[in-house]
Amino acid sequence: MRLHEFEAARLFQAAGIPVPPFAVIRSADEVPDAIARVGLPAVIKAQVLVGSRGKHGGVAFAETPEELGAKVRGLLGSSVRGLPVESLMIAKRISIARELYLGATIDPAAGAITVLLGTAGGVEVEATAKDRPGALFRRSVCPPAELRGHQARALAREAGLRGELMVRVADALTGLYRVFRRTDGLIAEINPLVVSPEEAVWAVDAVLDVDDAALYRHPELPADPIARLEHPLERAGKKIGVSYVELDGDIAIISSGAGLGMATMDVVGQRLRPANFLETGGGITEELMYKVTDLVLQKPGLRGLLINLYGGINPIHEGAKGIVRALTEKQVAIPVVAKALGNRQEETWATLAEAGVIIVTDITTEAAADALCAALGAKDKDTVTRET
Amino acid sequence: MSILLDRSTRVLVQGITGRIGRAQAKWMLEYGTRIVAGVTPGKGGERVEGVPVFDSVVDAVRETGAEASVFFVPARSVKDTVFETLEAGIRLIVVVTEHVPVHDTMEMRAEARRLGAVLLGPTTPGILTVGEAKMGIIPGNLFPKVGGPVGVISRSGTLAYEVGGILAKAALPPSTVVGMGADPVVLTDLADLLRLFAADPQTKLVTIVGEVGGLQEEMAAESIAAGYPKPVIAYIAGRHTPEGKRMGHAGAIVQRGMGSVASKVAALEKAGVAIARIPAEIGFLAHTLLG
Repeated sequence: MRLHEFEAARLFQAAGIPVPPFAVIRSADEVPDAIARVGLPAVIKAQVLVGSRGKHGGVAFAETPEELGAKVRGLLGSSVRGLPVESLMIAKRISIARELYLGATIDPAAGAITVLLGTAGGVEVEATAKDRPGALFRRSVCPPAELRGHQARALAREAGLRGELMVRVADALTGLYRVFRRTDGLIAEINPLVVSPEEAVWAVDAVLDVDDAALYRHPELPADPIARLEHPLERAGKKIGVSYVELDGDIAIISSGAGLGMATMDVVGQRLRPANFLETGGGITEELMYKVTDLVLQKPGLRGLLINLYGGINPIHEGAKGIVRALTEKQVAIPVVAKALGNRQEETWATLAEAGVIIVTDITTEAAADALCAALGAKDKDTVTRET
Repeated sequence: MSILLDRSTRVLVQGITGRIGRAQAKWMLEYGTRIVAGVTPGKGGERVEGVPVFDSVVDAVRETGAEASVFFVPARSVKDTVFETLEAGIRLIVVVTEHVPVHDTMEMRAEARRLGAVLLGPTTPGILTVGEAKMGIIPGNLFPKVGGPVGVISRSGTLAYEVGGILAKAALPPSTVVGMGADPVVLTDLADLLRLFAADPQTKLVTIVGEVGGLQEEMAAESIAAGYPKPVIAYIAGRHTPEGKRMGHAGAIVQRGMGSVASKVAALEKAGVAIARIPAEIGFLAHTLLG
């Protein structure tokens, strides 16, 4: 789950990282209050969950109360990269002598945390990583080990920082690491960490992405991961506990397992166009399959539905009843092909066949795609016959 | 022969008294697995499918000589239970559980590596040695009675079933099917599992079932390129998967452009691995390579 900048900034601040004074507002009426708390000049930042806000009109600057009021009115209710702007962060503007980059993330290869310190900060840090790898310094920390102060200072010295600035940057980095560990972070970033002319450091941006699987142990974090998803059907999927991703084709797909789902798309994608990716995970019940079938069929313009399931941990014979209930209720006219193998496969086949589902008993997903193509061919032929 | 598990392995089932643990214990017994004990704290003294249940892993190991464990415990208890199981001396653990926090996985991984234990998962279907035994949820009825020459290592669960079945249909059934787990951080690396198959005389060829994301396949490619004694086939799922939402700069920097299907296929091809574009091609490739 991605946190809003102001939510991450509060956590960074609590961990001792210097964050410029800020206020969060939802209406222009709150501007005088915000000025009293933050001061001028100020930066106004749309609180939307996308990157590159600055390049897409989501960040503005104001020198006077009038300018601030006008820009706030302009931004509230607008949209940034398609997302509605409902709240703004008003923060004190800091003079910039230099920009650094701090980051923490999980390195899947090492199974450890990588902390990063970039000496050329700013939004182009990724390009810097590629073109000027010498400007990026990293250290791997394997939990439960912590990032010690002396290790962070060694990294800052390696990056060429000296004196009090070196200590301040190292402190910010250990603070960032603590937030990352304490919140079950996946990504934590300060980009940029601004160095002022007085050599103070300020986190003028705050990025934090946390592990949904660990939210149960974080009452201090917002508890609305689902509301943060953009696409309505993706939200609907999360709500019933499955992964749904909308694609631009017209063949709906239901699969049990992400790998099988991707393989199904690989096979179907050779000849047809998948309308969605949906995988159920290991929690199939009759009710879940009813909801899942109903969900994928909500997309308009579908030509077919391919169901690809394995009964390992999943009771597919129960799931079949839910599929049939949804197909019957919606009076589905498009061809539906099911390949469902594993424990209690025969019962599953019988239930589905009774509702007119085309059953594939071969092990390959190819065979299921063949059956769907054949059914679509037949259907296209029917249409042609009727039209002539 | 096989890797990690055979019909003589003394298996412990953790979470055996739960709905899923109970059902899966029954399937595992029916397949031929030698389940000697179950553990559910607070349920010591009960029996499930005739298997004695203990309160702790230490008790189960002392009373039954259990040497491998399969987990059907809730995600939030997994880390604690893994440390208990390792402390009791067990060195093969299968974590079937989904949605384990990745910070927990990193801690378990560090401990497993320190002890030289093989931990599969999280989010793994487990391990099945054809015709012998299984730990986890891989359905036994997809496979023939007797194992064959192909080792299968898969990141995905259900896709492992499909590939195992395709090989069985091609009359080159698996020796052992191992699910390494579908999470971004896994407890045992693909390269380590490849080494186990290299040493197994029954296995003449290894099939890797990978998927987009992570760096396991790239790391395995490096180790294969450094010298691997058996032919290897790989299928990487996700060619038609749209690029996932960007995970921020830090993730992109750490992965350095790796993790895509193209990067995995390129690395594996360079290491001499035969690439299947769709799962069904694996049977054909296996025949060609073992022909």
